[in-house]
Amino acid sequence: MIALVGRLGARLGVERWRALPIARRRQILTPALLGIGLLFPVLSGNAGNVDAAANAFTYVLLALGLNIVVGFAGLLDLGYAAFFAIGAYGYGIAASGQLKPEWSSLWAPLEWAGQVSRLVIPGQPDTVQFHVAFWPMLAVSAIICAIFGMLFGAPTLRLRGDYLAIVTLGFGEIVPVVARNWEGLTNGAQGLGGIRTPRWFGYDFGFSPYPYYFLGLALVAAAVWISIRLQESRVGRAWMAIREDELAAGAMGVNHVHYKLLAFAMGAAVGGLGGTFYVAKLTTATPDMFTFPVSVMLLVMVVLGGLGSIRGVVLAALFVSFLQSVILQDLTEYIHALGRLVGSAFLQGVELITSLELIFGVILVVMMIFRREGLWPAVRRVSALTREQQTAAPTRGSVVDLAWARPEAAGGAGRPLLEIEGLRKSFGGVAAADDIALTVHAGELVSVIGPNGSGKTTLFNLITGLIAPDGGSIRLEGREIGGRPSHEIVAAGVGRTFQNIRLFNNLSVMENLLVGEHARLEAGVLGAIFRPPRVQQEEAQAVERALEGVAIFGNRLLPRIDHPVYGLSYANRRRTEIARAIMTRPKVLLLDEPAAGMNPAETLELMDLIRGLRGLGITIILIEHKLDVVMDVSDRVVVLDHGVKIAEGAPAQVRSDERVIEAYLGRRRRAA
Amino acid sequence: MMDVVLQQVVNGLALGMMYALLALGFTMVYGIIELINFSHFSVFMTGTFVGLTVLNLMGVTAVSRALTGWTLVATLIVLFLVTMVITGLLGMAIERLCLRPLRNVSGTAPMITTIGVAFVLINVMLLTFGPQAQRFPSLLPNWRWPLYGTAEITFKQLVLFAVGLVLMVILSHLVKRTTLGKAMRATAQDADAARMMGIDVDRVVVLTFFLGSALAGAGSLFFGLYYGFTGYYIGYTTGLRAFTSAVLGGIGSIPGAVLGGLCIGLTQSLGGQLLGVKWTDVMIFSILIFVMVLRPSGLLGVRAPQKA
Repeated sequence: MIALVGRLGARLGVERWRALPIARRRQILTPALLGIGLLFPVLSGNAGNVDAAANAFTYVLLALGLNIVVGFAGLLDLGYAAFFAIGAYGYGIAASGQLKPEWSSLWAPLEWAGQVSRLVIPGQPDTVQFHVAFWPMLAVSAIICAIFGMLFGAPTLRLRGDYLAIVTLGFGEIVPVVARNWEGLTNGAQGLGGIRTPRWFGYDFGFSPYPYYFLGLALVAAAVWISIRLQESRVGRAWMAIREDELAAGAMGVNHVHYKLLAFAMGAAVGGLGGTFYVAKLTTATPDMFTFPVSVMLLVMVVLGGLGSIRGVVLAALFVSFLQSVILQDLTEYIHALGRLVGSAFLQGVELITSLELIFGVILVVMMIFRREGLWPAVRRVSALTREQQTAAPTRGSVVDLAWARPEAAGGAGRPLLEIEGLRKSFGGVAAADDIALTVHAGELVSVIGPNGSGKTTLFNLITGLIAPDGGSIRLEGREIGGRPSHEIVAAGVGRTFQNIRLFNNLSVMENLLVGEHARLEAGVLGAIFRPPRVQQEEAQAVERALEGVAIFGNRLLPRIDHPVYGLSYANRRRTEIARAIMTRPKVLLLDEPAAGMNPAETLELMDLIRGLRGLGITIILIEHKLDVVMDVSDRVVVLDHGVKIAEGAPAQVRSDERVIEAYLGRRRRAA
Repeated sequence: MMDVVLQQVVNGLALGMMYALLALGFTMVYGIIELINFSHFSVFMTGTFVGLTVLNLMGVTAVSRALTGWTLVATLIVLFLVTMVITGLLGMAIERLCLRPLRNVSGTAPMITTIGVAFVLINVMLLTFGPQAQRFPSLLPNWRWPLYGTAEITFKQLVLFAVGLVLMVILSHLVKRTTLGKAMRATAQDADAARMMGIDVDRVVVLTFFLGSALAGAGSLFFGLYYGFTGYYIGYTTGLRAFTSAVLGGIGSIPGAVLGGLCIGLTQSLGGQLLGVKWTDVMIFSILIFVMVLRPSGLLGVRAPQKA
């Protein structure tokens, strides 16, 4: 009875909690968690626990950094401990007597700042004694690590995910080896010793765990805050888009080189903070602290909590750290006690801590097979559609009101918007585009048709920069865009959809559309983190526009706006993709078989939409196999066959063209 | 000087044989299911302990004297066969239990799983055999023949060359001339199409794991015989070098794996002579990184490991 009441109460509490908006939940949770964090040392009253917690904070920090790289951007980094090491050695060297370079006047400014001193030993040249303060080094380590993050990341940009993992692993191996063997810099295998502890206005942190606990808590709080801010920003969306589908991300205007390097740099910087903090607390750094098992332990934390899930990663990192420092030891003692009780020598000999890596291995395998999203995944729960929403008659929206989607009038009136000349591309020996010329004027609707394999999609891929042309030129408003990277072409005003829908499957409809706006927004990392009024306003407008973008499909997408797109019906995914392309605010919109798989009613609806988009002044190039659609909406039809343009003209004219009929139906047998 | 170089070349080629055998396992699995199989390292390491146990069961221990004549031949044959079958079965078990459930999962999940499997195997061996290095019986007699100056070739090295070549010839025959080989090549090209042509892709994959792991087992015996010791920790470094061999040769390419293995063996011995042994791993990983950056398809690879 009591249990039942308790369960009911808990149920009600959970339901009510879930009903609260996220912002409100955060308003309640943040002070609560910080309060617990601040009170823990007082409540626990045990310096050992506080020390364990302070160490755990290091790993939380590192796991959050790794989560930026692996969880947000989807770049599997197996050598993350390298950044931990670089940060650690960075501070270790700057705050110990390891390096003693000869004195020169170049050191004078640092001496004046009190970070180094001149060591005078009679009979020997003067040397420099380093004692750089902890606080500036925190920032310097983060910056050094960010630079190394980009250095290590740069070679891997072109590689597939698993290769990237191996290269990062290679770097992860090299760094401890260098630390072990470059004895002048790192004191080799014995490690650095005598590293100075931080001071805060004359108060020396010393060896008490308490100040480190609070410092660690502050660093973790900052990392959580930064992670949340990044995740819910233009930057975070770009990372997630790359994670989901790099190619489509490019076609939405995301510069994948820039954002991948940024992810490496941000992740590495957090790792550097962790290393600096850890070494300041430990006052020593040895190469063994940063080997592969450490990278794997951090990966275990991220995988256990859930890739990309900030709360999950924090909890998992705390759990794994305490597993190592407290839980396993306590369990071992219980088992020993049990062994003494039942007189089992085996139980008394059990040492669980030696099985730690075994446990890590088991966690990785079990999580990957049974729960890849982690124990506390990042995906929000979305409420199912109500009965009314499910059974509501479909309504249609319209694009008439999308003022922002209306392209500015092209400069240089009378000039064609898009000019393609002599475009060539061959794959092996097959010419997919052979000397194609095409001119499209602003406001036109041109259809491209042709049998399968005639090079239609190749033409789109060439225009949007997914593949580089072998020759020829593509000019948009007189500016050459041929061979430019796809994100620049999007920014220049070319939007597209894909023949085989390429949405960001694990993102919601809304997030997909917001990624579409990427090229039209400006917030960078600092803007994303500090969110000044300008960025807030930009985000609010972006969301508003995305809502309007969804509304062009009436009530089809609107109720599903927070649903992940993998759960949508085929037609709704097509619609989402079209809306996403519109969000890029294209001057020219390339639609690759938008009506494929749609029933006649849906096709009619789509044709209305296409006409509406033209009404806004958007120029459209359409690939479509449904010839009735093509003949109905197009101003002009271009026919491709084997990469060659074989006909061009008004729909009726093309329909009766001998060569077109031949391409589609084959050559008529000559009468014998 | 010449003789030192020659000596290191001979040593390097012998080592290279071991890396080649290991690299073959990587390359075959990658060729078929595009997975970088981390657990391969630890299957190799486990193989040394399997070989150790097999030898102990046959009465050959670390203190035994070297064998000669037919006893040696028979012992070697039994040793290689039993070890290779057991590691092969281990590879099959890993595929069946841990990787098949993830066959259609894209992304990094299967690779993370293999890291987990590697950790499990390493620590099971650590807990079973203890942290210290174990002596591996030196059953090969210590014969050596002078080549040029002070350079010489040992009987050990000759055995490694011979066994390695025999295994590679068998593998090459298997892949090129048998129905299984044809099925493997077809699956590597396009698993779906192979399935539609009636090839049991699951069986092909599991057999590939068996073959790759059996070769790793042979490689592990090379390690034991060559270095005369083993430990739970040997898999990782050796495995990464073997992986570099596979990448250098062109991942997915069987002749590439052999060529890459020999190159890495030479790099290790000559580079160690030149720059000092402590920098060996830095050299080898630098090769890995340079190949990945400058020529991801490797020396003989056809398919570049780039995103589709």
